[in-house]
Amino acid sequence: MLSKKRTISELLNEWRYDDELKERIIHWHTLEGRDAKHAPFPENLHPALVKALHARGITQLYTHQREAFDLAASHKSFTAVTPTASGKSYCYHLPVLQKILEDRNARAIYLFPTKALAQDQKNDLNELIEQSGEDILSYTYDGDTAPGIRQKVRKAGHIVMTNPDMLHSGILPHHTKWVSLFENLKYIVIDELHTYKGVFGSHVAHVIRRLKRICEFYGSKPVFICTSATIKNPKELAENLTNDTHALIADSGAPVGKKTFLFYNPPIIHKTFGVRRSAVLEVSDLAKRLYIAGIQTIIFAKSRVRVEMIVTYLKELTRNKLQDESVRGYRGGYLPSERRVIERGLRDGTIQTVVSTNALELGVDIGQLQACIMTGYPGNIASAWQQAGRAGRRQDEALIIYVAQSTALDQYVVDHPLFLLGSDPEEVRIYPENMLILMDHLKCAAFELPFTTSDMYGEYDIQELLDYLAEEGVIFKTSEKWHWMSDRFPAHDISLRSASQENVVIIDMTVPARTKVIGEMDRHSAMTLLHEEAIYLHQGIQYQVEKLDWEEKKAFVREVDVDYYTDANLAVEMKVLEEDRSRNYQGGTISFGDVGLVAQATIFKKISLNDKQDNIGSGPIHLPPDEMHTSSSWLSFSNTLQWSEAELTEAMTGAAYAMNAFIPLFIQCDSSDVAVVPQVKATHNNLPTFFVYDKYPGGIGLSEKVYDLWEDLLTKTMNHVVNCPCESGCPSCIGPQNSLVNMKRKVKELLQILY
Amino acid sequence: MSYENKILQMKKMLGKKVQQPVTNEQSTYQKPIIPNYVNQWEKAGLTRIDNEFGIVFKRQVHYPFHYQHGHYPLQSFFDALIKWQSADFDHPYALDVDENVLFFDTETTGLKGVGTQIFLLGFLEVTKHDFVLTQYVLADPAHEAALLFESRLWQKTATIITYNGKSFDWPQLETRWTLNQKVLPKLRTQRQIDLLHSSKRLWKNDMERLKLKSVEEEKLGFSRVGDIPGHLAPIIYLDAVKSGVPDALMKVLVHNEWDLLSLITLYVHSTYLLFEQSSDESANTYTNIGKWYADLKKRPQSVNVLEKVTAQFDAREAGNAQFYLALQLKKNKQYSEAVDAFVASLHFIEPRKKLQALEQLAIIYEHHLKDMKQALVYTLEGIQLITSTEDWRMEQKQKWEISWEKRLHRLGNKQ
Repeated sequence: MLSKKRTISELLNEWRYDDELKERIIHWHTLEGRDAKHAPFPENLHPALVKALHARGITQLYTHQREAFDLAASHKSFTAVTPTASGKSYCYHLPVLQKILEDRNARAIYLFPTKALAQDQKNDLNELIEQSGEDILSYTYDGDTAPGIRQKVRKAGHIVMTNPDMLHSGILPHHTKWVSLFENLKYIVIDELHTYKGVFGSHVAHVIRRLKRICEFYGSKPVFICTSATIKNPKELAENLTNDTHALIADSGAPVGKKTFLFYNPPIIHKTFGVRRSAVLEVSDLAKRLYIAGIQTIIFAKSRVRVEMIVTYLKELTRNKLQDESVRGYRGGYLPSERRVIERGLRDGTIQTVVSTNALELGVDIGQLQACIMTGYPGNIASAWQQAGRAGRRQDEALIIYVAQSTALDQYVVDHPLFLLGSDPEEVRIYPENMLILMDHLKCAAFELPFTTSDMYGEYDIQELLDYLAEEGVIFKTSEKWHWMSDRFPAHDISLRSASQENVVIIDMTVPARTKVIGEMDRHSAMTLLHEEAIYLHQGIQYQVEKLDWEEKKAFVREVDVDYYTDANLAVEMKVLEEDRSRNYQGGTISFGDVGLVAQATIFKKISLNDKQDNIGSGPIHLPPDEMHTSSSWLSFSNTLQWSEAELTEAMTGAAYAMNAFIPLFIQCDSSDVAVVPQVKATHNNLPTFFVYDKYPGGIGLSEKVYDLWEDLLTKTMNHVVNCPCESGCPSCIGPQNSLVNMKRKVKELLQILY
Repeated sequence: MSYENKILQMKKMLGKKVQQPVTNEQSTYQKPIIPNYVNQWEKAGLTRIDNEFGIVFKRQVHYPFHYQHGHYPLQSFFDALIKWQSADFDHPYALDVDENVLFFDTETTGLKGVGTQIFLLGFLEVTKHDFVLTQYVLADPAHEAALLFESRLWQKTATIITYNGKSFDWPQLETRWTLNQKVLPKLRTQRQIDLLHSSKRLWKNDMERLKLKSVEEEKLGFSRVGDIPGHLAPIIYLDAVKSGVPDALMKVLVHNEWDLLSLITLYVHSTYLLFEQSSDESANTYTNIGKWYADLKKRPQSVNVLEKVTAQFDAREAGNAQFYLALQLKKNKQYSEAVDAFVASLHFIEPRKKLQALEQLAIIYEHHLKDMKQALVYTLEGIQLITSTEDWRMEQKQKWEISWEKRLHRLGNKQ
């Protein structure tokens, strides 16, 4: 291979004649660019803003920016759906700055999902303010804000940029120190709306209800401005999140550059078992080609483990260069300082290839990258477009390569390119009604302002719940109000981020005298990723877990150099607690309700890092079972097949594997948010049953959605299993098979009676 | 049943989503209903007061001037005032004879945040005839505006003397006031004297804990018998409004009363110390006083106190005093006296100060006394100290080494 820099079109021309690639690239698809749609500046746009925009070479707006300005001016909350690099920040900067220039007392809150994004936007906003020549104060307010300037931010900040966590525990419970903000709050900006999903989104919905309650107390009625990536239900999500009516700006006026999509399927290396070459290896090879061609590339991988594996492969490229940092990993679990260095490196070009989990989907400003490789389908269309948007910001030509893994969903996507390029994105669901989440925030709200005996909380009638809190002794009822009456500070007991409230801290003890914390992980993931003898990867370095102190939530790891990774099994038992809804289906029943489940990590396997990914050993995991009360939708059917229990178990496991893969086709969720568990004899009715459950205590609205989707889910699953080219089952359909019986036939039979 | 399961059982209790009713403009203030335990609380010795916002309970105690609290009779407060009046310098803790003084302490239901309520406002003030303690007790949380209003802090001007009030009691009061800002007149900004700050200045390195209780025992000659620990106050108050039984609450009032009495004698004791009235304190305390004066730029007072320490205590105990004295003397341009004091301090001060002293000696010899040989001696000693001290951070050491090597180099050239 020639080591020479090339442009994307030069590279693509080469690839067209490359025999190996020709065979593996199943589809080429080019999306032509689109011209901009412009609108003039609003007539009343403040001269200082005109000046600032002119200084940036902007003489007119895109249509969506103008629409945003006009809606805000008429005090209407709105949500703008904007692709990457469409100048979305003007949708909020302009109306907010305009308002402040008209009324120096006016205030705004900018809410970003992470600290990093707030920092990033602050720089951009400050530059704009400087160009306007006006004296407008904008500050970030988060855990890093120096105590010395906090006072100033509270009293004088026109624009306070923060994150939901800080709002939740650092601002709302101390609202009397923010009187001038709350009395004059005109706008609440929520950037990256689509990230507020699932548990986190449901928590944030409550933080916003609390915020609105406090605004009402101080007599302000702020307008909400939300911006979102493309999802199916932006308006519904925004309204659910903010409990307010929103207008929708769906049509972007920004120009789009030409994008070439390649759909790449790794070659089959084992025909009978339908095993394809590992996507991780294929991605690494493609990334090497791009690296050599001098093309700045971002690679997305779904898990931390895969990120680290790819980084390890790619670092081979730079092994002989000292101090070379041109290939880096980037994911949650790295310390913030480490992440800042990487972000800078991407902007200034010292980093040429970055391998990331979805952490970089968000608007962190890393400048323009030329190419993007997706290791597998990221789980939903919105994410896929966010990832693709990382390549070719503005009008440059961009290359996006989708590399399918062997999972069912991935294979489906590689075979149906129109699914990715042409279909509607998924819904984003939040579920503020989750009782655990609601009660947590009800306490915080009661702490922040007493409820009267006729008050609602958001859209909820909570008087009976307040009665319960009074019985618990945290609030006290007088003739007309419920007063907080406890020395607790409730916001400190509630984290918005992790499903289980306790995280496991990861401690590196490679050098005994210098132990240090290198990351943390939620309890549920830790059961399968940090058990003793697990291989944990961090910045391409392998660590072995030496000791997991489950009581103290500490995992002690030591650096190792081995040629395998580990994969753990989780056994789950379900018990139906309450059936809320039920309907007949093909001789069986479909239900929705509450379940109790007990999950236990059982064994782990050591899997070789070689091409075949051989299983080279295993061991037991000794951890206590994790119990959870959640919501679930289940399908029970009578066993008309004359099979042994063991046969039925295996067939159901295969079918569940295939179903699980398709759920993200319908609802936007992480694969870790929902799971399918088969039970040959469900304890409540002794019938074979598939349970789809939310992996968060109290449920998060996902399985409720599945209740209406079973027909569609089973159809998609059936078609896929039937059409899969393997003979007897493979990772792409029903999961890898060890037994000699043809399980695929059995699964098909089973699905036939269900479908 | 686990907490989690219990909560989830309550799903049924959550009211259905309904359209939020249009909230009508806030009507005028409605007096809250009067709690049913008024009689019980009155029997326990509290007086019910009605004002336009509801009711509040009051307890008042009068102390004659000669009332003894620990080492001091309360009237020694007047001695303290006289001392400040005759002083020929200003001081942040000085009071005028005609200044309206209010010793102030609160009891609260928690430590921070808007959900923390003040349920007791305690004031101690001087009248023509005696000292008067006035405590206002929150009748129940609904009667908060009545409690705050009754404090008259929106009306009168007074110097507020507290223990940790600058960062706790006063901000808490401001928070409660803000929550009632729609109905209450504005809280006045008042001059504040925080005796925790002065205690820190006086007894730094002398007392491990600066809890008011420890200060009482070690310095004020007062020990509490049958005191309620402060952290139980929230539970006690909640219990009192729930059950209506005020017995334990009355003990919290006594706790607050002792706090306030001790504030007076602590003010007196601190003033005496600043005027060197009291002589049973350690060399360290007097040195702290000298340093405090120095930081306030009161050089004559500082030198005066520090010289007494060096005269009255042995060389070891007076090491720090010599050091601070030397700094003052140098500022007075009394170079040879400063040299003597620095030299006297050298063996009895901690390494970081010692390095400072050596540096000062080198500077004085080089620039003022023009004795390069001596300057060189102290420079070498300084460098030796940097290399031999192990518990300093590496980067810090390197920085110092660079600047000291510079000095050494310069001196080499001058010789």
